[in-house]
Amino acid sequence: MPTIDVDYADFEKLLGIELHRDMEKLNDILALVKGEAKLFDEKEGLMSVEIKDTNRPDVWNIEGLARALRGFLDIEKGLRHYVAGKPIIEVHVDHRLRNIRPYIGCSIVKDVKLLDTTIRGLMHLQDKLDQTYGRNRQRTSIGLYDCSLITPPLSYAVAKPTEISFVPLGFREKMNLKEILKKHPKGQEYGHIVSGHSVYPILLDSKKNVLSFPPVINSDDLGKITEATKHVLVEVTGTVHETVLNTLTMVTLSLIDRGGKAYSATIHYLHENLDVATPKLDSRLMDLDVEYVNRMIGLRLSPKQIAELLAEAGFGVKKIADAKLSVQIPCYRIDVMHSVDLVEDIAIAYGYNKIKPLWRKLPTTGGTKPEQTLLDIARELMVGLGFQEVLTYTLTNPENLFTKMNCKKERIVEVANPKVQTLTCLRNWLLPSLIEFLGNNLSVEYPQRVFELGTVTLLDEKGETKTRDENRLAAVISHANASFSEIKSALDAFFLNMGLEWRIEETAHPSFIDGRAGTAIVKGTNVGIVGEINPKVLIMWKLENPTAAFELNMQKIVRIKQASH
Amino acid sequence: MVELREQERKTLLATEKLGGLASIEQLIKESRLSDTAIVRAALALKEKGLVRIREEKRNVVKLNEEGKIHAEKGLPERRLINALSKIGTKATLERIVEKAKLEKQFIPIALGWIQRKKWATFDAKTNTLQMLKKPEEEIDGKLLKLLNEKSEGAVEDLGLEFKETIQVLKRRKLVEVEEKTRRIIEVTEEGWDTIKRGIAVSAEEITQLTPELIISGKWRKMKLQRYNIQASVAKTWSGKKHPYLQFLDEVKEKLVTLGFKEMLGPTVETSFFNFDALYMPQDHPAREIFGIYLVKSPKYGGIDADRRVLLNVKETHENGWKTGSIGWRYRYSLKEAKRLILRGHGTCQSVRTLLRKDLEIPGRYFSFVRCYRPEVVDKTHLTEFNQVEGIVVDKDLTLRDLLGVLEKFAIDIAGADKVKFKPDYFPFTEPSVELNAYREGYGWVEFGGSGIFRPEVTLPAGIDMPVLAWGLGVDRLYMLKAGIDDIRQIFTQDLDWIRRKEMV
Repeated sequence: MPTIDVDYADFEKLLGIELHRDMEKLNDILALVKGEAKLFDEKEGLMSVEIKDTNRPDVWNIEGLARALRGFLDIEKGLRHYVAGKPIIEVHVDHRLRNIRPYIGCSIVKDVKLLDTTIRGLMHLQDKLDQTYGRNRQRTSIGLYDCSLITPPLSYAVAKPTEISFVPLGFREKMNLKEILKKHPKGQEYGHIVSGHSVYPILLDSKKNVLSFPPVINSDDLGKITEATKHVLVEVTGTVHETVLNTLTMVTLSLIDRGGKAYSATIHYLHENLDVATPKLDSRLMDLDVEYVNRMIGLRLSPKQIAELLAEAGFGVKKIADAKLSVQIPCYRIDVMHSVDLVEDIAIAYGYNKIKPLWRKLPTTGGTKPEQTLLDIARELMVGLGFQEVLTYTLTNPENLFTKMNCKKERIVEVANPKVQTLTCLRNWLLPSLIEFLGNNLSVEYPQRVFELGTVTLLDEKGETKTRDENRLAAVISHANASFSEIKSALDAFFLNMGLEWRIEETAHPSFIDGRAGTAIVKGTNVGIVGEINPKVLIMWKLENPTAAFELNMQKIVRIKQASH
Repeated sequence: MVELREQERKTLLATEKLGGLASIEQLIKESRLSDTAIVRAALALKEKGLVRIREEKRNVVKLNEEGKIHAEKGLPERRLINALSKIGTKATLERIVEKAKLEKQFIPIALGWIQRKKWATFDAKTNTLQMLKKPEEEIDGKLLKLLNEKSEGAVEDLGLEFKETIQVLKRRKLVEVEEKTRRIIEVTEEGWDTIKRGIAVSAEEITQLTPELIISGKWRKMKLQRYNIQASVAKTWSGKKHPYLQFLDEVKEKLVTLGFKEMLGPTVETSFFNFDALYMPQDHPAREIFGIYLVKSPKYGGIDADRRVLLNVKETHENGWKTGSIGWRYRYSLKEAKRLILRGHGTCQSVRTLLRKDLEIPGRYFSFVRCYRPEVVDKTHLTEFNQVEGIVVDKDLTLRDLLGVLEKFAIDIAGADKVKFKPDYFPFTEPSVELNAYREGYGWVEFGGSGIFRPEVTLPAGIDMPVLAWGLGVDRLYMLKAGIDDIRQIFTQDLDWIRRKEMV
């Protein structure tokens, strides 16, 4: 979830009202844009706001937040018109970029008053857009420049790795592109995006001065803005045209909200003989059915009421006809894909808490999964036999499953991107979880008797997801006199109460003591294992008490039970 | 006639039988009472002036490990001389040792004592032993055997002849001598009188009632001792359900009562059910609402859904299909849809349910799902956790119905006094609502997220009606109830905490 830093005083200024540092009131307001104040530093007047909506980059900065809230707060209703003046810069795009990073969008915002906080806010927005929307600059990346230092027209061209040298941002000496990829931290971070190509993207002005090496780094001479900057050039390059234009819109609007006046750029795609004027700040139209709105929300709103609520949410209504509204959607609301998105904003503007909840009587019958009753009985029985139920993770590691159980490694479901080295796979049997549990309770009073009814996941070629889940029941007894006969006696009581006759057949299993382990067989089916744990296993878990255990496949037991009915 | 308790009577009469003077050990044998019973009885008799208790200090002698060996096999010098006599009168040490099967460590001891006792001479040059005389059984050997039979004995009880030998064996470190106190019970004049006059048995005071006492009716004659009922007793740890699972059981029961039916689905899922069918695009930040564990091998699975549904989803992502949406506008990959992952939320099961042939309309469904996300585990995050969520399907359902479901949950499950709704965001629902429940003593709790499935979710699945989707923050509720502020405590490995956690 995006988190943005907000200067409280600046926020009040942009909103045009005072909030009197009332956190509850503030959070009620932020909730309208799915935001919540997470931290508030009273002394510095700074707060950090978390935005739940990952599809609204227009509210990922303070200007955008204020823009979205002004309507709800009755400060400025309806469609906000943003315009960009006629093109004042031309950009020529080299066709050789087609397979590297073909698209660029530019805007010029003049007469902006840039304060230190504004610049920081812009940098944060740029960062967030680069990371998320721009997929770590793979898809788009943003550059900001001091317009007065640049001589148009610009050319978005290609250069060989050693052909051009410039001073990259934050450095003193000139480097060629190859050196930048090697030595500059940003080169090391983002170089992989272009390094597979024989030529790299480069943005130059008419004097052949380097603006930037997209998407890696700007030049130190032209590629930075300061409080002294009056006119800003915004540039976005990328691989998806629509994303490039949307990203350009977000940054440009923030500068306009800071009092700037925007001008366009003409992008010449020479090879395709195509000219595109950027930024695109026009609103678009979407039809909205009044009946649909009411059917979704469950209210009886008139077309006029709906238009009023849309205005609060920052939309315009061009006309109302035949119970249909033609809604103007501002350029920055790229999240609106379907009229249902408008319905939500109408409901939010109306107020969720003003809508009366309705519990509808529906003729449905509740119920649990078919095997649930048996599983519940199994748990009750274990409790009755004096075992404490425990809850463990299904994520574990092969060492716990095999090495520390004195077993050979088997094929299991492993994850490709573990977060920690101790949680790398799903368990394929339950007993190791319980032995680990005992290992974590060495100093807790004995005897210890615990059980778990849990899921294990096994590889299975035949399954839709190449795996299958199984419910297992495992129990362990650990104390100075724990023995095979004690666990067998518990298991015997379990089967008796499950109404199942069982027999035991001696088996060899490396986790158990030889000659003290057996397979539990019900109606000719192997349903589990019971025995006394091998001391080799005990010492690996630092367990000092004899331990006996069983593990049953509840899937099979349920199937046998169901078949016998 | 004097009245005595049964055990006192037995003890006194046993002492009389042993001549009016007996040790505790002797009395145990004679009376068949336990040690503690005799001591207790003797003390009571002493108080009544019927016996005297004398304490005698005695030196008890006992074999040690080495002593035991020699007691069984014979002293090493004895074994050596016996072996030599079998061979002849003169032989090499090596041969004799072999014949005697003498352990290596005893050779020097045997050589020393065999010469000291003048049984043989040893010529170090030729390494031979020359027998001087064949000895009779020695007193030290006799003592060893005696001690081995009795396991211990008082020096004072052994014959005078052994006195010196004990010192020798003590020096040879074959025995240990320890001072012990022995109690001797002696009948007094008054005691003799009492025995002469006859003894009546008083009602016996007993601690443990036994089946024998009950069946035989003997308990009637006995007095059951009063207990100190305040005394602390050993802990009993009851078998019981895990407190969190017990809580989930309760929630489940309430959902069933409200008419919800349980849904199922696999732990390892395809991207299709986890994301795509929920209109979360394959390459878009909206998917990154949470991270996901990818399966290492195999990487791809199948999708048991109608081919038509698959293509509908693909088209919806690419251009909105017939849903009225503009779609996500990118090239959808069917291969990527089959990517195997560990399910990141329970909503996969809702989609699977919508695609089921036996889907009931109207229908209410719920699921309890273990979910996985590659998060760093801390106070508020787990990498593996449980979700409780579900759907309501019927024609004409509205946002009001969704709020109704949420309010019902807040009151029936969270026991809330009042509720508050906030806008929320999920890529697959619109509108989306966050449920906040207020309960006296708990304050406001975020208790669930919900929404109406987007048309881009329902229409491709062939559902042309609203589907209300909800998820409950049961973990948060349980934590409040259990008084814990660290989510890791839910999966605690602390057996002591679980044992002590109350069930209500």
